[in-house]
Amino acid sequence: MAKKLTVVISQGQSANPIKRKLEEDLVGALLFERGLEVTVIPHLYDLAPDGTGMLCLQSIAGDMVVLSWLFPRAAHWTLDRNGIRGRVGKILLESASEEDEDDEDEAAEDEDKPRVADSLPPPNRTIYCLDLRARNEVEPFVAEIRRIVAEASVQTVGIDLMGWIQGSPKPEQLDRYLHPAETNVASPFFEPPADVGPSPATDASPAEETGDESPTNGAPLPAAPLRIDEAPNRRWYPVIDYSRCTNCLECLDFCLFGVYGVGGSETILVEQPDNCRKGCPACSRVCPENAIIFPQHKTPAIAGSPDGNAGALKIDLSKLFGAPDALEVAVLERDVELVAVGRDAVGASVGIPKRQPEKHRGPKDELDSLMDQLDSLDL
Amino acid sequence: MSEELVFMMGQFAARFPVDRRYAKNHMWAKPAAEGDRFRFGFAAYAVRLLQDVYFLEWSVDAPAPLREKQAIGAIESSKAESELYAPMSGRLVEFNENLLSDPSGINVDPYGEGWLFAMEGPGEGLLSPEDYLVHLAASWAIAERTIKGQINESE
Repeated sequence: MAKKLTVVISQGQSANPIKRKLEEDLVGALLFERGLEVTVIPHLYDLAPDGTGMLCLQSIAGDMVVLSWLFPRAAHWTLDRNGIRGRVGKILLESASEEDEDDEDEAAEDEDKPRVADSLPPPNRTIYCLDLRARNEVEPFVAEIRRIVAEASVQTVGIDLMGWIQGSPKPEQLDRYLHPAETNVASPFFEPPADVGPSPATDASPAEETGDESPTNGAPLPAAPLRIDEAPNRRWYPVIDYSRCTNCLECLDFCLFGVYGVGGSETILVEQPDNCRKGCPACSRVCPENAIIFPQHKTPAIAGSPDGNAGALKIDLSKLFGAPDALEVAVLERDVELVAVGRDAVGASVGIPKRQPEKHRGPKDELDSLMDQLDSLDL
Repeated sequence: MSEELVFMMGQFAARFPVDRRYAKNHMWAKPAAEGDRFRFGFAAYAVRLLQDVYFLEWSVDAPAPLREKQAIGAIESSKAESELYAPMSGRLVEFNENLLSDPSGINVDPYGEGWLFAMEGPGEGLLSPEDYLVHLAASWAIAERTIKGQINESE
């Protein structure tokens, strides 16, 4: 099944020519790959919910790969918030710096708390999010996308077959089988670009269905990428990672700006993202599951780095030097924002988490003991 | 407006118009016709160190009360990345929105269209152009050492 995979390239906010070049080199390289549609959008996080860019993304059917200057978790859940749902695609391309660490963040996953994502209907496609900061060159990204193309075509067949075997093909699945080439055409965004002209070799014509590389029509014709020319304003709002969120509602209690709300199924959601105070990540600090992402924050753990406690391998001594703990910081940040809008600071009197769990994983080692000794000293 | 002071950064002549005041963090502050309102921008010294600006980001929304040296944003250029800090205590009233989509205005017209933001406040810590040049002379040696030190480290 030679279904096309959509590759979305989300441009960075920076005009740094090195970054822009990587984006454009990728577009160029991917146009010559088989089985891909390339779409270029402005910075994913900034897209307006009802803007052209988001509408375009919402119209994409099937698996997709999203390359952005964001941590993959941040990109995935930003899409999810906008109704673009998918399973988290496994990425094998690691950033050059984390290659030598085998840090699977299964530590967080293996606790048996129910997560909000478990209660939602499983998405019927996969979204692979790649961090453009992982590498400086085009080749590793192209290699990873080729791997995903191969993996995605296997998966599509597998999952669809499961549905058929159980005798319940969904109407859209049936439709996809009967009209493979038309899957994406329903959207006005997928008209073939005029300057390329209607190419007979686009999409899955029967000759291409064999999927092998024999060039029946000569070299594959490069199709122009779809470019979304939205000029979004910078935004600042939280993104919830529902694979971590337990719906404890601490954020709802803590935020006093009305950002959070509870949806139809009693599930926490970011109801008024634009009520959020620019630069303030306080709710993320109080979240016991580290499920709230501010993709533009400078602290990797808050911006959605893969590892929940980023930098956990290094000892953070700032506490010894008088740094306030996360909750104290959150309370201060919230007070600053309250005062900024002419309200009274509330300190720790409102919405303070009741269930901050003791975070201890595994038996204590020598370093823990050392830190305990340091803690007991009155510095 | 042609009047200006010049400070030599090595071979480079950094020029500072005398129709405004300067903050120690290398921003200029031009008073509005009336009231205690100032428009701020990067002085030639800062622009020379940054060179081409690629990205500018503010971490506060206007209006906002600011303390001097409060972190308010970040900048990325061809030569540097830096946090940005409030040049004085007061109330931030407006950002130059044009720079967010195209920060190159900072390089094209640093003392005019490339202004960064406007603040209200007494501005008592702001320096006269002459005093700022004295401050520059003292800080230039340190800046040179810092830059060279970082270059040597990265080699």
